[in-house]
Amino acid sequence: MSTTPGIDIRESYESKFGFHDKDQFVFKSRRGLDREIVEQISKMKGEPQWMTDYRLKAYEIFEKKPTPTWGGDVSQIDFQNIYYYVKPTAEETKSWEDVPADMKRTFDRLGIPEAEQKFLSGVGAQYDSEVVYHKIQEKLEKQGVIFLSCDHGLAQHEELFKQYFGTVIPSSDNKFAALNSAVWSGGSFIYVPKGVHVDVPLQAYFRINTKDMGQFERTLIIVDEGAYVHYVEGCTAPTYSSDSLHSAVVEIIVKPNARCRYTTIQNWSNNVFNLVTKRAVAYRDATMEWVDGNLGSKLTMKYPSVYMMEPGAHGEILSIAFAGKGQHQDAGGKVVHLAPNTSSKIVSKSISKDGGRAGYRGLVKVVKGAENCRSTVNCDALILDEASRSDTYPYMEIEEDKVTIGHEATVSKIGDEQLFYLTSRGINKDEAAAMIVSGFIEPIVKELPMEYAVEMNRLIQLQMEGSVG
Amino acid sequence: MTITDLRPLSDSKLSDWAARAAERGAERREPAWAKERRARSAALAASLPFPSREDELWRRTDFRTLETEIEALDPFASVPPARGLDDLPHGLLERLAGERDALALIVQRGAQVVFEQTHPELERRGVIACSMDRALREHSDLLENRLGSSIEPDYDRWAALGAALRSGGAFVHVPDGVEATVPVRLFQWLDGAGKLAAPHTVIVVGKRAKLTVIEEQISENGETPSLHAGITEAFIGEDSKLVYGTVQDWGRNVYHYSNQRATVGRGAELQWIQTLLGGRMVKTNSYFNLAGSGSQAFVHGFMFGDQRQHFHLHTLQRHLVDHTTSDLLIKGCLKDRARSVYQGLIQVAEGAQRTDAYQANRNLLLSDHARADSIPGLEILANDVRCTHGATIGSVDEEQMYYLLARGLHRSEAQRLIVEGFFAPVLDRIPLESVREQLREAIQRKLG
Repeated sequence: MSTTPGIDIRESYESKFGFHDKDQFVFKSRRGLDREIVEQISKMKGEPQWMTDYRLKAYEIFEKKPTPTWGGDVSQIDFQNIYYYVKPTAEETKSWEDVPADMKRTFDRLGIPEAEQKFLSGVGAQYDSEVVYHKIQEKLEKQGVIFLSCDHGLAQHEELFKQYFGTVIPSSDNKFAALNSAVWSGGSFIYVPKGVHVDVPLQAYFRINTKDMGQFERTLIIVDEGAYVHYVEGCTAPTYSSDSLHSAVVEIIVKPNARCRYTTIQNWSNNVFNLVTKRAVAYRDATMEWVDGNLGSKLTMKYPSVYMMEPGAHGEILSIAFAGKGQHQDAGGKVVHLAPNTSSKIVSKSISKDGGRAGYRGLVKVVKGAENCRSTVNCDALILDEASRSDTYPYMEIEEDKVTIGHEATVSKIGDEQLFYLTSRGINKDEAAAMIVSGFIEPIVKELPMEYAVEMNRLIQLQMEGSVG
Repeated sequence: MTITDLRPLSDSKLSDWAARAAERGAERREPAWAKERRARSAALAASLPFPSREDELWRRTDFRTLETEIEALDPFASVPPARGLDDLPHGLLERLAGERDALALIVQRGAQVVFEQTHPELERRGVIACSMDRALREHSDLLENRLGSSIEPDYDRWAALGAALRSGGAFVHVPDGVEATVPVRLFQWLDGAGKLAAPHTVIVVGKRAKLTVIEEQISENGETPSLHAGITEAFIGEDSKLVYGTVQDWGRNVYHYSNQRATVGRGAELQWIQTLLGGRMVKTNSYFNLAGSGSQAFVHGFMFGDQRQHFHLHTLQRHLVDHTTSDLLIKGCLKDRARSVYQGLIQVAEGAQRTDAYQANRNLLLSDHARADSIPGLEILANDVRCTHGATIGSVDEEQMYYLLARGLHRSEAQRLIVEGFFAPVLDRIPLESVREQLREAIQRKLG
């Protein structure tokens, strides 16, 4: 198997996303991390004292926390070889014209302004450490929707920001959350007022350009009572020979009766360590949905979670992981039932190929008193050749008896009968395999906005070329 | 006093125990290799720390209370050998029901085997069933390559301690081509409290052979803790079959830590049944090595906890070569403030194509103070496989309850039926009707 030469996905990644601009920045911190650099970042951003203190305290926690020994191998990360802050341009702009030419070209090549015109309510584009472009439809702005870079969120709405920042994911949560809390820069700040439905998605695009760069964006989303928002993020980076680090923190607060959907198409280049902490709290009758697609990166450790705080809350996590050569996708999700009558669902599909390692790591927790909770977890894995690996590590911690909890997982290869059926109808093996894989991930892809679903299918097809011999 | 003397189980206590264990080994004329292994395990027990909460296998089970009290335990409690069945404790005789004379029977009391009885039928066919002490003297050649071969010497401190203080255990050996028509029954009995027993049992089934072994672990309730830290190793040869069932029904003062390893050869079949009812804290690690092409392991287990009992059952289905099958079902039922942890893993090695592995964990919670954790994992390094696992946790099905109540059954009676039905798929696997009956009674007692 996998001996037939076909399109190499890395090659096509190279031509589509793998390019990089000449280094350009107005400021770049020196390599490595210490108190001085943390203070410098805060000072450059002109932050209030409480944020400087918060960063410094987080830095101390980061220093003290041991590096996790489970999941992927993060011991290769050389924290002192990383640039923690690269400010690419003087100012964030609302006008596409004002974005520096090189960056504009980059985002043009990635299709950002085009997408904005076609199907988005607002767009943010982050280049290295800072958001360089941010725009939201006037109509939404008038309704009171806030969509800013996280830095501008702090500067312009300090009270609101301070009320929620760090409440969902404290800096002591884990080593990488502590690191992000110390050196965060960029990301999105979103507030959707009571009852406002943002019909078309808001989007952010993250791009790493500088070599040995660490990107630490921070996102804070507050969806007020009865409101709705769909946030979409995408990410790519140039293919450098040395590794980059992307370590984001995403905090989401979904108030009563509100609904939030957060979609990620992660397609970092194969040299990026992607270590992300994502968590949402959902209140009475609120719904939180994570749609998490992981195609790129060298190592991804990411387990989006939903904490159901009040009765009637619902959490959903749909996760796709595709691990090709040299990749380790340690994906999954966590649902924590803290109140009665809450429900959750996790669907995970993973595919490993060419020696890649894809897995599901998850937690279902029900605390005492959270009666009548329901949770189902479904994990399916496809292994496409004998060099590849699939792992499933589901954790279930149940402290309440009046609950219904189920977990199911299967691991298999592409069914010979399915292949035979398709090839007997004149479809060649490659195409047939791609069709089967597309069918396998379909339950999740259908949840993506149409343009992303098309892109996802195209990426899967590329990944699948020449895979079945 | 140095810092190291302050940690639970001081070096001086440990070396005193190790010296006495070596003395006893010498008294019983253990072969030189066995003495050496004892000494090596003692050195490891001295150098290893007790497992900490950082260890994945110890994050959910806390033996620290035992650690602080361990020095008070007596690893050498000795009872004079029984002259006949009637010298055995009454609670144990009850278990034998009417079958007392027609059995191959090995009974351990505290730190040593006190009674051995073979069966003429087995003797005639060349089946060995005796105490480990006797086997080390008389069948050293059959044991040297097997005793301790399927567990890493430094697996953890408790296992190393058990190997250093090894006391008792049994040896069962079935030659090639022999079908052992009579089941071998092993008993472990602990008198009173404050005991430490570390039996090591080895079961060898030759090629094209068959054997059934039933091991029961029982004691009365004691005030202070006892520790039972046993190791069982089974080796199943080509095209053979072993049925091995355990019934653990210790008193409520017993800490139970057991390591069980089974290696299944080409075309062989293992039927493994494990039932856990008693004890204060119970932790078992059962590994199934599917080492020969076409080998199969069928694993059925249940645990039923009440009051503040804590059960932690860890299984590992290791598919090492191609064309192997494993099918595992673990059921847990909890009432009061009991807690259970099921931690299972299916491993498929590189090249172990055509593996067919299944793992299911079902949990029934009868009280809202009970807690069940379930961690069924998969690590798959081959692609032409079928691996499936499932886990569920829930309470008594209201519809089933309604059905029974509507037929005039009392609620407690209905619950008993539902729980019995829940355990039935495991109970049905137990090879002896008398043992099944005792288990049913134990379940009833627990339901109260």
